[in-house]
Amino acid sequence: MPGLFTIAKKELLDIVTEKKFLLIFATLLIVVLVSTFQGAQNFMEMSSSSSAYTTLEFSTSGNNSEPQIKTLSIGSTNLYWALYSMVKNISTVGGLLAIAISFDAINKERLSGSLKTLLSYPVYRDSVLGGKYLGGFAAITIVTLTTFMAGIGVFVGVTGTPLTFDNTARLLIFLGMSVVYLALFLGIGLLLSIVLPEPSTSLLAAIIIWLASTQLIPNLGWAIASIVYPFSFTTSGNIGKFGPSSAHELLRKVITGISPSASFEQTVSGILSTSKMEFSGYTHVNVPISLGQALMTCLPNLIYLVALLVVVFAACYVTFTRQEIR
Amino acid sequence: MYRRMMAMSTIIDVRNLTKRYGDLVAVDHVSYEIHEGEIFGLLGPNGSGKTTTILMLVGLINPTEGTAVISGYDVIKQPLEARSSVGLLPENAGYYDNLTARQNLSYYADLARVSRVLARKSIDELLDLVGLSDWKNTKVQAFSRGMRQRLGIAQSLIRDPEILILDEPTQGIDPEGTRDIRELVKELSKERGKTVVLTTHLLHEVDKLCDRVAIMKQGKLIALDTIPNLTNQIKAEEGADFEEVFLRFQGVM
Ligand SMILES: Nc1ncnc2c1ncn2[C@@H]1O[C@H](COP(=O)(O)OP(=O)(O)OP(=O)(O)O)[C@@H](O)[C@H]1O
Ligand SMILES: [Mg+2]
Repeated sequence: MPGLFTIAKKELLDIVTEKKFLLIFATLLIVVLVSTFQGAQNFMEMSSSSSAYTTLEFSTSGNNSEPQIKTLSIGSTNLYWALYSMVKNISTVGGLLAIAISFDAINKERLSGSLKTLLSYPVYRDSVLGGKYLGGFAAITIVTLTTFMAGIGVFVGVTGTPLTFDNTARLLIFLGMSVVYLALFLGIGLLLSIVLPEPSTSLLAAIIIWLASTQLIPNLGWAIASIVYPFSFTTSGNIGKFGPSSAHELLRKVITGISPSASFEQTVSGILSTSKMEFSGYTHVNVPISLGQALMTCLPNLIYLVALLVVVFAACYVTFTRQEIR
Repeated sequence: MYRRMMAMSTIIDVRNLTKRYGDLVAVDHVSYEIHEGEIFGLLGPNGSGKTTTILMLVGLINPTEGTAVISGYDVIKQPLEARSSVGLLPENAGYYDNLTARQNLSYYADLARVSRVLARKSIDELLDLVGLSDWKNTKVQAFSRGMRQRLGIAQSLIRDPEILILDEPTQGIDPEGTRDIRELVKELSKERGKTVVLTTHLLHEVDKLCDRVAIMKQGKLIALDTIPNLTNQIKAEEGADFEEVFLRFQGVM
């Protein structure tokens, strides 16, 4: 495709020299460093006490003298547990960065009148689209790689966790998934910049989609699941458990899974979960989850994310190649 | 095959070209041929369909009906080949504000696959030609409207195209610049054999410049000939200027 790399190169240069990009990138990096540092310290504490524990908190408040269970938390030394905030930050701040890169890719040029000059050259529209996307993708890859290396560096440095084959494979899949996820947001921004004529409108639309994905849909999933399957108290052996039923969990996962951010977080949590808690008689044990098992459980989410990416890209292609440029 | 069959001198063949926007027919079944090496003026009042015609020629908008053939290539079936011999100065074009004049041209040279060595030399020459040599390292955001237009003309020449399509090249340009552009267009056509298609509202320029003109009105082609022939056609009195001729064709006078 003639012109593809020329356009991609210019796009990448434009992106990385822009202030908004540097600002959000710096924010992401700082937030990830700080939160991973904390996560790593908690991880250390947990590993030094016991490999697994359960806490129940009771409160006797109000005029009701019966104790009420407030919280229950189950912990284990688990990669996901340590890297939870890093995943969360890539999902939120990273998503924001991706749309900040692409929300005006096409409409800004259309508005300034440079698009018609560009398209009068012997380049296909696919090359323009592809070049814009590729430039943004390169920027996103740089961001993800840097953030990832910094985060993992802090984690390994603080905890001294050895990078085994299994660990490394999981981390690399996490990295790859992050790139796919951010590439999706990049595509959404690009599509909006094609469909909406004004950058201010496409920015607003992009932020609404971002909010829906990172906040609205996950909260809605929680709320709906809680109404349909309220929390209940269950006993297993002599251990009481107050919390969501498995039906609740499933419904919540299905609803929140519509959101790319939640889907990404679910996928990564699956990949990074090296073990899970299981009750066994009077105690509970850490049951390891193999990489293969982990991959199988998050396969639907993964397929969903990739399918979304393909759909968004196809929509960009179809709308842009048919558009009139004047 | 097709190329050889066509008359040697026809370089742009507009065939029944039509563009509809709902009920409005912006370009209405227009056909004509533009000859190699001539300066062809596309004239008409605001909204008569000049820009729409040009945008269809370079593939930025799709015709509702009809097509055009440039250098033997159909603009619908082979858009890339068709526009590869064309340098375009679009109407109200913009350039990259965050880049300098030179960087802008260097980007266009890359897109046109002009070799680096050749580009470096021709960029400076072109900037000189359009009177921007003092501004070559200035970011375009600091450019005035006329300076942007000059940059646009340099841009249209970067690939040394056989055909130049200039949509209102003198828009926003001062009288001295207007004269420079006129001389430049003349030189490109007469000395270097380029075909130039231009639109303009400066009728006195047309008089001095164009070999043939096409006059459009509400999307239709209402006249096409050399200026002396057009003057004869309306039996204008001796010494009538082209403005009068043009307005007569439009039915204003
Ligand atoms: N996107 C569009 N939708 C509807 N009508 C359009 C659109 N674009 C152009 N037109 C109409 O097409 C007609 C031709 O416009 P065009 O820009 O070709 O005129 P022009 O001859 O270049 O005029 P000017 O001298 O003002 O540049 C006008 O009536 C215009 O309103
Ligand atoms: Mg026009």
